[in-house]
This record gives sequence, C-alpha cells and structure tokens, in this order.
Amino acid sequence: MRPFADPIHRYMDHVRRTCETDPERAWRDALIGFRGNTWGSRHLPNFHAARGYHKLEAYTLGLVSDQLGHESNYVWGNVFAPVEIMECFGLGTVSVECLASFFSGYHAAPYFIDRAQESGIAPTLCTYHKTVMGMMETGVLHAPRLAVTTSCACDGNLSTFRQLGQRMDVPMVLLDVPYDNDDASIDYLADQLRELARTLEELTGVPFDESRLSHLLEVERETNILAWEFMRLQAEHFYPAEFIHHLFFVLAMQLSAGSEELHDLLRFMVDDIKRAPRLQGDKILWVHLMPYYQQSLKAAFDYSPAHQIVAVDMAFCTMSDLDDADPFRALAKKLIGNAMNGPYERKLVLVDRLLDATHADGVIHFCHWGCKQSSGGSALLREHLHEAGVPLLQLDGDGIDERNSHDGQIKTRLEAFFEVLEAKRAEGAAQGGNVNEESTAQGGTAETKGGAR
Amino acid sequence: MRIGYVCKYVPAEALEAMGAHMERIEPDESLVSFDAAESCMHANVCSFAKATFETVLSGNLDGIVLTTCCDSMRRLADALRAQAPNLFIHVLDVPRDTGEAACALFERRVAELLSSYGKFANATFSEKKLFAQLGGTPCPAEGTCDSSLELDYARLHSEAAQPSFRLAKSSSVSQSFASSNQAADSAAWSEGCEASERNADEAVAAPRVDNALQPQTHFSPAMPNVGIAGARANAEIKRILESHGVNIALDITCTNASRRFVPQKADTLAHYAHDVLTQLPCARMRDISPRKAFFDHVLPQIDGLVFHTVQFCDMYSYEYSDLKRTSPAPILALETDCTVQSHGQMLTRLEAFLESIGASQKEHLASQKGSPMSKTATFVVGLDSGSTSTNAVVMNEAREIVASVVIRTGAKAGASAERAYREALERAGIAPDQIACTIATGYGRVSIPFADENVTEISCHGRGAHYFNPAVRTILDIGGQDSKAIHVNATGEVTDFAMNDKCAAGTGRFLEMIARSLEISLDELGPAALESKKHLEIASMCSVFAESEVISLIANNEEKPDIAAGVCRAVAGKAYSLMRRVGLEGAYMMTGGVAQNPGVVRAVEELIGEKLFICEDPEIVGATGAALLALEKSV
Repeated sequence: MRPFADPIHRYMDHVRRTCETDPERAWRDALIGFRGNTWGSRHLPNFHAARGYHKLEAYTLGLVSDQLGHESNYVWGNVFAPVEIMECFGLGTVSVECLASFFSGYHAAPYFIDRAQESGIAPTLCTYHKTVMGMMETGVLHAPRLAVTTSCACDGNLSTFRQLGQRMDVPMVLLDVPYDNDDASIDYLADQLRELARTLEELTGVPFDESRLSHLLEVERETNILAWEFMRLQAEHFYPAEFIHHLFFVLAMQLSAGSEELHDLLRFMVDDIKRAPRLQGDKILWVHLMPYYQQSLKAAFDYSPAHQIVAVDMAFCTMSDLDDADPFRALAKKLIGNAMNGPYERKLVLVDRLLDATHADGVIHFCHWGCKQSSGGSALLREHLHEAGVPLLQLDGDGIDERNSHDGQIKTRLEAFFEVLEAKRAEGAAQGGNVNEESTAQGGTAETKGGAR
Repeated sequence: MRIGYVCKYVPAEALEAMGAHMERIEPDESLVSFDAAESCMHANVCSFAKATFETVLSGNLDGIVLTTCCDSMRRLADALRAQAPNLFIHVLDVPRDTGEAACALFERRVAELLSSYGKFANATFSEKKLFAQLGGTPCPAEGTCDSSLELDYARLHSEAAQPSFRLAKSSSVSQSFASSNQAADSAAWSEGCEASERNADEAVAAPRVDNALQPQTHFSPAMPNVGIAGARANAEIKRILESHGVNIALDITCTNASRRFVPQKADTLAHYAHDVLTQLPCARMRDISPRKAFFDHVLPQIDGLVFHTVQFCDMYSYEYSDLKRTSPAPILALETDCTVQSHGQMLTRLEAFLESIGASQKEHLASQKGSPMSKTATFVVGLDSGSTSTNAVVMNEAREIVASVVIRTGAKAGASAERAYREALERAGIAPDQIACTIATGYGRVSIPFADENVTEISCHGRGAHYFNPAVRTILDIGGQDSKAIHVNATGEVTDFAMNDKCAAGTGRFLEMIARSLEISLDELGPAALESKKHLEIASMCSVFAESEVISLIANNEEKPDIAAGVCRAVAGKAYSLMRRVGLEGAYMMTGGVAQNPGVVRAVEELIGEKLFICEDPEIVGATGAALLALEKSV
C-alpha cells in the first residue's frame, strides 16, 4: 500500500461525483488529480516495483498529465496516430483511449458510458470510445485545436473522432490506413502524412523540417531495438512490476515513439534488468488490452515472481525497420504494417515472433468488450497456439468498464490456467525436455464462455 | 460461378461481366443460432457477419467478395479463409476517401480482384464486356452514349430472375439537381423534387452528389411514407412495414446498392470504379456530408424513419445519435441480430412506432369485427397478454372499469387470455354478446384470435397511464421480460419510447432469479430491501454475471436486505437509463408487476428525485389502455 491512500480515495470519489454535478470543475479537479498522481510517482518511493518500471510509470503518467490543461500544446490522437509528425511541431499527442482510461481511474467511466448510450451510441461499442463520447455529452471534455486519427486498428476511430470534431468544433485529420501492404498503399498513405505535415504547418506557423522527422525515426529505430532487448531479458530475469505497468509500457511505446527520453529510459531498463535475479516463475505473453483495474489480475501479477508478463503484443505491433529514405514512406510502412491492420495472419506472425523471443509458457488473450478486430480473431489464435502447443487463456472482459466483466469468473479461469502451466512444467521436468516443445494436444486451453450482455 | 457479396462497394457488375453470378447475401431468416460462427470467431462480433459466415458455410456459393468496411468483416474474411479454403474469398480494400488518389488506388484494387477472380474461374475481363454489362451496348452512336442504366440489385436477383437491368431514360427520372454540398442551390433542388412529387407514385431521384449514383426515393401521396436507414436491414422489416400499409419511401441501408451507372466507352473500368467509390457514402467513409444533405432533403418529406442497426455493429449508431437530436421526422432505433428470435421484438417496436406516428393501417383490420355500441353491447374489453401475467379489464360506456382480472400466464398465451376474458366477464356479470369490442395488447397479443384488434402495449400503457393520471408524461413499465420507458403528451399519445434489448437485466425475471438465489419469495424481496443498512453495489450489467455477483455476496455473508437493496438499485439504474432516453419529464408513473416492489420503487424515486405515481393495480394499466382504445373504436 502506498502512502496517503485514504485521502487519495476520497479525492477520487470527489472527482467522480463532480463529473455528475459540475462538469467544468470536474475537468479542472481531475487534472489536479492526474498531476498529483504523476508528482507522487515521480517523487515518492515504490519499494515493490523494479526501478525501471517505477520510472516508466512516472514517465507515462506525465505524457498525459503534463499535456492536459494546455490545450494548444497537444492534439487528440488514437493510440496509433503518427506522433512523430506532431512532435516535429512541438505538439504532444493525447490519445483519447488514454484519456478515457485516466478518467476511468476515478471510477467515472460508467457514468460517461451510460450518458453516451442514452444519446444513441451503441452499447456494443468499445468502452474507451463510449467513455470519451460521454465526456463530450456531459461537457466534461476539453478539446485541443486538432484531432488526428488513423483508421487502424479500430473501425470506431473515424466515427468517434468525427463526432467529437463536429460537436466540439475541432478539425479532424483522418489518415486512411489501407489494408493491403504494398507500394501503392504506402504511397497513398505517405501522401496523406505529407498533407498532415502541411496542415500542422498552417496550424502552428512552424515550418516543417524533414530532417527532424528523419532524426526522430532514427531514435525510434534504436528505441525499438532496446525494447526488443528488454523484452528478451524480461523473459530471463524477475523484474517486478504492477499489472498496470505493462500497459504503461504499451502506451509509452506508441505515444512517445521517437522520443529521446523514452530511448534513455529503455537504455536504463535494459541495463537495470540485467542485474535482476533469474526468473523462476511462468512467463506470460499478453495479447491485446489490459483491464488495469481487475482485482484478480492485479492479485496474480502485481510484483509476482510466480507469473511474470514478459511481453504485451500491443507494444510491438507497430515495430518496423523504418528503413525508407523518405521518412513519410517509412512512417506509412509502419502504420500499414501494424499487426492489427490487414488480415489476422499478421497478428499470428507477431505472436510467433514474441514467443520465439521469450519462450513464453503461456498466452493470455484479453477480448475487450466491443473490440471486434481482436475478439473476431480469437478462434484463429486458439487454433494457431493449439498447433504450436502453447497454452492459451482467453478472457472476455472490458478494459475500463468493470460492469462488463466478472472478476470471480476471471479469477477461476486464471487459476485453472496457472494449474495447466504448472502441470505442463511438471511434465516437462519429468521428461527432462523443454516445456515449450511439448504439445498440449490434451487440451491445454481455457476460455471464458459467453460474454457480458 | 456463384459469388456472394454484402457491400455496396463491391464491383458486382464487373464480376458479372466476367460471367460470375453475383448474389447479395441475405442471411437466412430461419437462422436460430450462430454456433459455427461463434466458435470460429467470437460471440461479440457483428451479428450480420456471423450470419454471413453461417450462410456461406451452409450455402452453395463458390466464393465471396468482402470489403474492408469494418473490423467484423475483416475477421469474417480471416475466419472464412480458415474454414473454407477451397472457396474464392477475396477482401477488397475500399479507401475511406474518394479523392483522385483514392479512386486510383480503388481502381487498382478492383483490377486485382478481377484478375484474381479470373484465375479462380478461368475467366477474362474486358472493358468492352463491362461496358456492355453496364448497358452500354444499345448506344445509338459511338462515343456519345448518354443512356443511363438503372440497376437495382434487389430486383436483379429477385426470384423471378427478371431481365438483369432496366434501362431508363435519364431525363424522365432524374432532375438536374445541383451539387448537394452547395446550399445556395438547394432551393433549385427542392423545386425539382416537388415537381416530380406532384406526379403521384412516380419514382423521384434524390439530389445528386457528384455522379449519377443516387439512392432512389419513392413517395406516395396516399400512404404514410417511412424510410429505412442505417445498417443492413433484412427483408422482414420491409415486409412488416408493407403489411401495415406503409410506403417505403427510401432504403439507404448499407448494403442496399440501388444505383444507376452511366457507362463510358473510354476507360470504362476507371470510370466505373470511380462511380462505385463515389456513390452515396456509407458511414465508414471519411466525408459523409452527402448523407447529411440527403437526410436534410428527405426527412421533412417522410412520416418517420426506421433506423436499423445490427447487434455489435456500432458504425451507424453515431448517425442515429445525430439524427435523434436534429431530425424533423420521428425516428425509431431498431436493433436486430439477424436471427428469427428477434421477430417478436421487432414487431412490437415497429407497430408501436407506426401507432405513435399515426401510420398504423393494419391490413387485417380492414374487416373490423368491432361493432358500434348498441343497446345490448355496451361494454368493451382490454386484454393484456404479458409474459408473466395476463390482465383483463371490462369497461363501460362511461369509461368506468367494471371489472378487472390478473392471472398468471401459463404455457399458452392464448388459453390464458381466454380464461382471463371469461373470468373478467363473470366478475362483471355480463355475457359475451354485451361486448362491443375487444382489443388485445402485450407480448401475446397476436395469439388471441377472439380479439377484434391488437395494439402494442406501448400505446396502451400511454393511454392507460393518462386515464389514471392525466399529469403523467413519463411512464416506466417493468414487466416480466421487458422494461420500457414511454413518453406521452398531454392527451396520452405516445411521443417516444425506449425498450430494453434482448437481455433479462433490469426486468422482473431478473428479480425472480435473484430472489431464488436469496431463498426468499419475489414478494419479500422489495420489503427486504427497505430494511437495508449497508450500501452494496451490484456492478454487472449482465443478469448472469449479476447473479454470480449476488452469489459471491451471499458467500461473503452479506445480509439479505443489503443484497436485495443492491439488486433493486441495479434494476432502477437500468430503468433510469431508459427513462433518460425518452427525456425526463414529470410527472412519473410506474406500471407493470415490478411497480409493486417497494425496493425498486424507492430506488427509482431516489434517481429521479421525485415520487412515482403508482395506481392501485399497476398490472392493469396496459389492459385499461386497450379497453379505452376499444371504447374509441365503438363510439
């Protein structure tokens, strides 16, 4: 337990209530809370988490809390927006998914979600999107001068941003990310990215400097190598983290791509993890979003030497060589090559690469409520991992709305899954073989059935 | 080769020019489950995608052309590739933009599709054939072809296999409308439309966007005009509307590719691809202002709009949310899941909507049995056949209730209705021939052959509520299997309503389930909740999850009254959401069986900050409304 837990809970309660009564004040007070949280993370000790993760937490919290309140300094983006181009103009990118997540930290998401649904938005829409729509409906949300979104990886992006833009009078740039990965698609998207740079030139009055973009991509390339190295090391060393820290890793990698600060942080993490003890517990590869609030998952993974998350696919899904001489084409390749774009096969290739790098003992696939592209592929992932002999746990739940998941059920599935891993480990030890090469044809998969309705 | 498709951006004509027989996939309306689709994808993907999966796997198609229109379709393609490797499964990437670069990219993707189909079917493509396919052959003079082609996919593939296309002289149907984006020209636009409308029942072309591909509109001067918009609507919706004497003035649901092409001799494919991409945009396109212009134009001319969405397809709910705020025409949001089970719900919603816009003209009512009041027949009966209880009210000429009966609905709704009817008459001490008119309402209203008419419970609750308390504007009705909020005006006419989806959460059935878990009777649950001392939150929105949550609370030794109060608050929260959707206007009334549960009543009152008006017998409000309507029929 961190210090000052009680006053913090009281303040969170206050913000949640204020969202319902005084939207203007709710925004202001929420921002104070975010800044306080970032301050605490930067200056107060956390004796349980590894130093690298503690720093990462402060860094990621700051990515959002330092921007909000300065609406002319950032643009709205989705989690896969080309932040590198915004950075060339000194603009930050606040992802609306992140914003939704942060407000859900005050337990305010259900209120916003209900308001969005009452306005006619489909209950089956992604809850991140519904939360932001509800924040707009209730007048809590404050808007920057521009919104930049991509059509990847989620078909709700365009509609949500369009609605936000129209209702709050914010111009929107939609980057249409094609499905096919070939030169024609790359050229088509690269032209849109050039147009985005021109739009930002007009908006900010800052001339665009292509060499700056090339430099950022150079940094990003090195950061990617470090991140990959860190992931590999995390499969070997016990590096204690909170469950939510893995989500922070994803957010930092996506929303801070090209940043020197992130590069240095990863450098530190790579050096630091090498000094950590060997990992004895299970290595888990996490696929898709993480319900940071879920008690059963926190209990299982927070600082746990028994089960360590060694990689989250979303941190690595956009990783590309960035090797084109034309930085716009390099970025276009990155966006089109996103493992969440195109056919599901690409996701399977990424999962294979991550399994190869980490020798993970098991995979957990979290099917977030309303995310059709991830849920829709769950059967293919199950089939694929079954053939590879890697145990899989598929969980149905919700990244931010607690009402769409049942903690007790998740706990049971999770425990059963750990038992499967344990049995497999024992079997491997008995046969003296590598557990990863063992087949689980005897049914090493567990699943949550049905779904919240 | 029989090739299926679902999206209006599929270049069906070009594939037909290669000899393919293109079939728009109409999910089988006898589908009762998505077992295969859910095991090969997931339960939470779009129901239409699931239905398409089942149809393709069980059908006789040689392939399917899908587009990248949404995430569910992307994954449908992945799942089909894995399950049906021998079929031709192609994903056509459709740009969201319609500018020059996008058109060029789209043309390229179309050409790739044609080439890959050519390999699969051993067929070749030629622009000449496409030109002919698009109706270019009968051109009088080379190079100056001006005959346009009206191609309606639905007609094209109707059972009768009519001639594939109908040639129409462009001058006779299309007006020279200005671009919809130019407000200044919109007056000219409307004039053009009005001129055509004067020709009764004549097809009127809608304003053109940038090309000739326009959705068709068809207004009737004699019948109520209702439009259909939103996502893929099944034929059942149209059938229901038409059987209620409604003219379907327009259908711009996302797969309804009714469009007209003007083929070009030179660069036929490029022009065609351009025309396909720039037709009235669907909701996933970047610029949807042509849709807005279209709605601005047609909404003032129609009596109502049915806005259809498919469960787990969220794409169109944004447009609905916009239209709901701005439309001059009443809108019904209708969600279906492409299975046969949704028929009953769909019927109630559509009928209630038509009643509320005064457009209900049921065919079978043409020969009304209801006779005017005579010397002998001076009473009317309202029968409400609900899932839990069947209620009957006998009313006299003076609008006084002379008898009422509430019985449990057994396995057969019809038999229970008959029994309730008989008992009510006995209680009133009158004979059947003294009844001038009987109106049935409620879930089982269609299974009551002896009723003269049936009206939805929505309208009946509106009337009934007004009868008991004319000040009431918002009614909350929670019955056994559904809950609804109804807004009525000063005369008791329904102006808006909202119903729960296909889910038991927030209904009487849910309370029953919980009472069973708590080992108390349903009647004890409400009073128990009032004894609560500790605030417990039931967070789950799903009734199954909520029940497990309750079981966990029991396991944690929480007190029954506290759990009961938590459950009542959860039901009230769901109800409050519905009430907000119709606008929170007082006074409030609660009806239905759950109105007798003091725990829920108190929780709702806490949320609305006002007292609920509850009449002596809240279960007979619907039947009373039916009786009032019967009385109107008889005088």
